[in-house]
Amino acid sequence: MSGIVPPLSPEARVLLDEERASPAQPAVVRQRALARARAALTAYPDPSMPAPALARPHARRWFLVAATFTCAIAAAAGATTYELRARFAAEALPAARVVQPRAEVQPAAAPPAAPAAETTSPAPPGPRAVAPGLTRPAGRTLSSAEAAALELRILRPARAAVAREDFADALGPIAEHARRFKDGRLAEEREALRVKALAGLGRQDDARRAAAGFKVRFPRSVLLPAVSRLAQTGQ
Amino acid sequence: MSHLRLIASAARGPTPDESCLAAFQDELDYVWRTLRRLGVQPADIEDMGQEVFLALRRSWGEYDSSRPLRPYLFGIAFRLASAHQRKRVREVATGIGEVLDAAPGPDDALESKQARALVLAALERIPLPRRGVLVMHDIDGVAMTEIAKVLSIPLFTSYSRLRKARKELESAIRRQLREGGGQ
Repeated sequence: MSGIVPPLSPEARVLLDEERASPAQPAVVRQRALARARAALTAYPDPSMPAPALARPHARRWFLVAATFTCAIAAAAGATTYELRARFAAEALPAARVVQPRAEVQPAAAPPAAPAAETTSPAPPGPRAVAPGLTRPAGRTLSSAEAAALELRILRPARAAVAREDFADALGPIAEHARRFKDGRLAEEREALRVKALAGLGRQDDARRAAAGFKVRFPRSVLLPAVSRLAQTGQ
Repeated sequence: MSHLRLIASAARGPTPDESCLAAFQDELDYVWRTLRRLGVQPADIEDMGQEVFLALRRSWGEYDSSRPLRPYLFGIAFRLASAHQRKRVREVATGIGEVLDAAPGPDDALESKQARALVLAALERIPLPRRGVLVMHDIDGVAMTEIAKVLSIPLFTSYSRLRKARKELESAIRRQLREGGGQ
C-alpha cells in the first residue's frame, strides 16, 4: 500500500531531519513544567477529577450548561433567602423599616493579609477578596483546584505579554496575581516574570530590586540564575 | 499486621502517579515538540503540555506498558491540539519557553533555527488531520499501522492522508522558500 505514497524530496527530507533534531527545552523550562505536573498530582489526588478542559469538548459543553444551570439555581436560592431574611428582620425590628443590604467587600478594602488567605489554606474569618466568578453566597473558601485554576488564569496573560515582549501589558496581571495570591503556587513564576518585565521596560533599578527580593524569597529557585542575569544585564 | 502492611507498602513499586510522572518527565521534550508541530503556539505550549500530562494521568490505567509510549502520547497531544485549534486565537509570540532562558545554546545555530522555522511554517499550511499523520510518520518514524490505530482511522485513510500531506508539505516548503519564509 505504501506504493501509493510518493517519497519526500531530498530537500524536504533534510528539513525534516533538522526538525527531528530539535534541541531539548532549557532545564529551567523543564523544571517548571515538572513542578506544575507535580502540583497537579497534589491538587488532584483523584486522577478522574481533573478533566482536561480541552480534551472532551462535548463533555465541556455539557459541563458549562450544568454549571450555568447550577449557578442560576444558587443565585435564585440566594436571592430568596436574602429576601426572606430581610423580611424577617423587618418584621422583628419594626423600627428599622429599611433593611440595608450588606456592603459588598471591595478587593481594595481587604486587609493586606487577605490575599494570602485566598490560597488553599483555611481562610480566616472576616472579609475576603475573592474572584467575582468564584465567590459563593456563603463566602466559602476556594478549593485547591479552583485556586490553582484561577492563578493560572490570572498569570496567563502576563506570560503571553512577556513572550511577545509587551512588557507593560504584563505588569497588570502580575500585580493582580500578587494582590490576590501573594503566596500562591505560582508566586515564584510571577516574581520571575516581574523581573523580566521590568528589565524589558528598561526599569533596571526596579528590576534589580525585584530580583533581590526574588533571591531572598526563593533562594533555591531554578529560575534564580536567569532572574539574576536579567537584573544585571537586562537580557 | 501493621508491620506486614508497612513492609508490603515499602516493597511496593512506584505508584501509578509516580510512574506516570516519570514517563512524562522522560518524554517532556517530545510532547512539547509534538504540540509545536501540531500548531500549538509557543505561548500556549506550557499549558497544553500540562493538559497532556493530566490526560495521560487520567488514562494511565488503560495504557499498555508493553507498547511504545510516544505514539500513545501523540494520540493525546493530537486530540488536544485539534480541540485547541478550534478555539485558538492567533498570537505572535516567542514562547514562554524562551522567556527566562536567554542563554545562548545550540538553538542559536542560525541555520538549524531557520530550517526548523521553515518546517513549522510549512506544517502550519497542512490541515491538522493530515499533518498529524505526516508528523508521526515522517518525523517520528512511527509505522503506518500504528498511526492508524492511534488516530482511530482506517489504514487506507492514513496512507491517503500521508500522500496528500507530503504533497502539501513540498509545495508549502517551495512557497516558503520563494517568499523568504525560511530566510
